[in-house]
Amino acid sequence: MKGTLALILLVLGGCVQVAPYDRGYLARPDMALDAGMGTARAMEKVHPSKEAASGGASVGGGGCGCN
Amino acid sequence: MRALVAAALFLGAPAWAIESGAPLPALVVTALSDPGRQVALATKGDVVYVDFWASWCAPCGQSMPLLDSLQKRYGTRGFRVVGVNKDVSVADAQRFLRNTPVGFTLVQDSGDRVARAFDVKAMPSGYLADRHGVVRFVHRGFTADSEAALEREIGTLLDEAP
Repeated sequence: MKGTLALILLVLGGCVQVAPYDRGYLARPDMALDAGMGTARAMEKVHPSKEAASGGASVGGGGCGCN
Repeated sequence: MRALVAAALFLGAPAWAIESGAPLPALVVTALSDPGRQVALATKGDVVYVDFWASWCAPCGQSMPLLDSLQKRYGTRGFRVVGVNKDVSVADAQRFLRNTPVGFTLVQDSGDRVARAFDVKAMPSGYLADRHGVVRFVHRGFTADSEAALEREIGTLLDEAP
């Protein structure tokens, strides 16, 4: 029990909040979750038709991928 | 075990942020363009604005020309801006400064010594200190209203008796 707790505390030490002034790398364009506005829109449109399902993202239409 | 928990809590404890009423940390920092030159952050007798900025921070890009303009207008009355750069590399800062040149003092902060001393909570952050070296106004972030507010505060502090 004590060992587990010690391990959790040790692992928690690896979680850090990056200081606002240290976010130079995080602010790089290639660190963004989406590659770019256009690519993200295209992926959003194509994904429902490829997966035969829609939802989650705000895509217009009924999910046929034809609009 | 208790010692381990205490150590974990201690390591997670935040530093004290500089707020209005606190003295400006008496630090000597390295100039951005010349690593051999040392600059004192606080100079008594001057109204000093310490600004933390970086080229990757979008609002900093707006604030830099405005700070330059304030320095030009009020410099003769004893107003001084010190820009503390928080870029990953000095080259990034210099690339930004080629497009947005400024005339005020710029310093580097490798190792985060200065940012830690202020416990900077946002980018950009600015600390306006009076002629006695006491921080009187703190600006976190930079909006359209910031310039007018800053100019008013600078005027107030410059009018105070030294």
